[in-house]
Amino acid sequence: MIAKIICFTLQGLEGVPVEVETDVSKGLPGYEMVGLPDAAVKESKERVRTAIKNGGMIFPVQKITINFAPADIKKEGASFDLAVAISLLKASEQLVGADVKDIVFLGELALNGDIRPVNGLLPILISAKGQGFTKFIIPADNAKEARFLGGAEIYPAHSLAEVVRHLSGTERIAPLETAEFVVARGERQSSSDLKFVKGQPMARRALEIAVSGGHNLLMIGPPGTGKTLLARCIPTVMPDLTFEEALEITKIHSVAGTLGEEGIVTERPFRTPHHTATTVSMCGGGNRVVHPGEISLAHGGVLFLDELPEYNRSTLEALRQPLEDGKITVSRAGGTVTYPSSFMLCASMNPCPCGNYGSANLTCTCSPAEIRRYRKKVSGPLLDRIDLQVEVDNISYDELTSVTASEPSSAVKERVDRARAVQRERFQGQSVTVNAEMGEREMTAYCALSEEGDKILRSAFEKMHLSARARSRIIKVARTIADLDGSEQILPKHVFEAVSYRIYDKMS
Amino acid sequence: MSERSGRERELDGVLSKMDKRGQSAMFVTDEDYPVNLKSIPEPPLVLFLQGNRSLMRERKFCIVGSRITPPWAEKLGMHISETLTKRFAIVTGLAEGGDRAAIEGALPSGKLISVLPNGLDECYPAAHANLKKKIAEEGLLVTECAPNEKVKKYSFHARNRILAGLAEGVLVISAGKRSGTLITANDALDYGREVFAFPYNPGLSQGEGCNGLIKKGACLASGVEDILESFGINLEKEAEVPLTDEEETLFAILKECGEAHLLLLAERSGMQVFEVAAHLSSLELKNLAVKSGGNRYSLVNK
Repeated sequence: MIAKIICFTLQGLEGVPVEVETDVSKGLPGYEMVGLPDAAVKESKERVRTAIKNGGMIFPVQKITINFAPADIKKEGASFDLAVAISLLKASEQLVGADVKDIVFLGELALNGDIRPVNGLLPILISAKGQGFTKFIIPADNAKEARFLGGAEIYPAHSLAEVVRHLSGTERIAPLETAEFVVARGERQSSSDLKFVKGQPMARRALEIAVSGGHNLLMIGPPGTGKTLLARCIPTVMPDLTFEEALEITKIHSVAGTLGEEGIVTERPFRTPHHTATTVSMCGGGNRVVHPGEISLAHGGVLFLDELPEYNRSTLEALRQPLEDGKITVSRAGGTVTYPSSFMLCASMNPCPCGNYGSANLTCTCSPAEIRRYRKKVSGPLLDRIDLQVEVDNISYDELTSVTASEPSSAVKERVDRARAVQRERFQGQSVTVNAEMGEREMTAYCALSEEGDKILRSAFEKMHLSARARSRIIKVARTIADLDGSEQILPKHVFEAVSYRIYDKMS
Repeated sequence: MSERSGRERELDGVLSKMDKRGQSAMFVTDEDYPVNLKSIPEPPLVLFLQGNRSLMRERKFCIVGSRITPPWAEKLGMHISETLTKRFAIVTGLAEGGDRAAIEGALPSGKLISVLPNGLDECYPAAHANLKKKIAEEGLLVTECAPNEKVKKYSFHARNRILAGLAEGVLVISAGKRSGTLITANDALDYGREVFAFPYNPGLSQGEGCNGLIKKGACLASGVEDILESFGINLEKEAEVPLTDEEETLFAILKECGEAHLLLLAERSGMQVFEVAAHLSSLELKNLAVKSGGNRYSLVNK
């Protein structure tokens, strides 16, 4: 007899249906698997055999042929185990009368018949639902991740025996209840907060502008001045995640297997790859399957590169294109995959190799050539894409008579939310969402400069030898500053302030 | 045709090669050999030139500084160099810091003479090869070394005597205690030329040499006027740049404090820090203020 069971595999974030066909017929006992299964899928043979045996069912001593269709897609991972087992049971007439049509089976089997969780469940469920499948049997351990998918019957199962009882109608599994998405606000306050950052008004202001307009940020300063602390505060002032954003981010983390306890990402990601990171770990890749890299894991959040010049040059250069496009397409033998990678880049670096350049009380021991070499490690094209460059310094408090208390993240976030609301209204019905994403067309429409503003830019252009891209970046930052200011027009003071954030250009 | 020795043929080869590269030789007997240089105890017998040879006939002023020069001194040096080109050709080296400031000030007008411690076909520092090429096109390169001669430890010492010898006066914009620029200044004093130096805060290592020169009797130069005055030159004043009220306030505070941190400026002026930064970038674009690193700013004296 032949049985057909539906299962899913992932290509990037897209789920592709795979039919598991099983034929059990008379002949010399054997167990064949065809249809481009990879090693992990082939090994399911043994897992399925013992799981069936230990689940109290009978493994047929006949000629068994299992086919995965369509045959031209590579099948990878252990998530087919459950589907293979069910189709085997069905084909060997141990599930007579059970209706397995239109049910999607997902799960890895343990030798004792338990069902283990699989990676990438959420993107599979979302794509499957989009293709018309509404009934799913999933590992119980993946239930948390699946409960946010409304409008589907999802049955979380602990073991193969439980699934068999459910299908044969002797003991139904309770369907999963849909959960409401709640943004983790309470938790946010506990970790990092801007109120713990002492001083640094310039960096705080730059951070606020960067988040408001979706710009990238570079902090330059001697060691121990709070660059990392400031960076960690960025997610706390970013707008709350919407459900759609959370799902999108969760999909990526689900594929990567980095999903936490809650089953859905409720906080904006903050990724800090070490400077020894390779291009593949940063951008994504892998042998047969293309795994998402750090830039995709940072999607919707912050990618923090501490000690920017220490990173591999080619790794940094690879960031340029995703920084422009907000997505990355990785091609490997296993296929071509596109992952979203729309993140805010925050980087930090020392002003010179010894770190004391520009310090008030310590002398810099670097020669000009050394400093130039150090700064040259960060390429111009990458710097051009970092709109805001700010110095973080150690001012001695004797220099000041009054030290004002630091503002908490919540107050900054309110202003950010307001500026974002202005932008939402401006870009309604367009693909652009924040100022930093504006193209030439949007800039001519929304970034008209007064004659004076244009004159300022012209002189800055000549003095600082700016590139054409840097010019449009300055205008975009000026637009964001005007939005924070609640001003319809970009005023000269906004342009001046935007120019003051191009310190890297002034330094070299 | 008469018999020619191998040595003569070799010389011919060198000369024709120099010709092809737009290089020429100037002998101590040539009528355009600068008189000032001829008057020093050991004038170079031959100078190799590349670029605008007529600059050798101009009045010459030398600006030098050590490689590590604070930003305000670089800015001020650049400004002085630029202003002095109205009457002088600026003489300097090809290094970072002080030399660089002099070059950047003078090169746009083309009145720049760069004296090298090595042959015209070599470049030291190697990173300045492009700059050297530009000077050869727009200004003038001078050296007493043969075209392929590499830089030696002692060649700087010899080069510095040419710097001092060519110029009517020398301005030292930065010099540490044992800086090589002091050699140029001391040579200039020996040759009876005017020596000027920027004043520095006591204890600042980058300025110990400058302060030492002033102690020994060099002229204190805090602006271009000090130099022009001692040569009896009157230049027309540049038009005052109009400032906004906020800029005036910041300008006044900076004048009082010297170098100041953004936070201090914000506190004293009662403005927000980011507003101060905006006004300061305006002052910077007007060439009145300069960022000295670590969110600190200072004025550029004119």
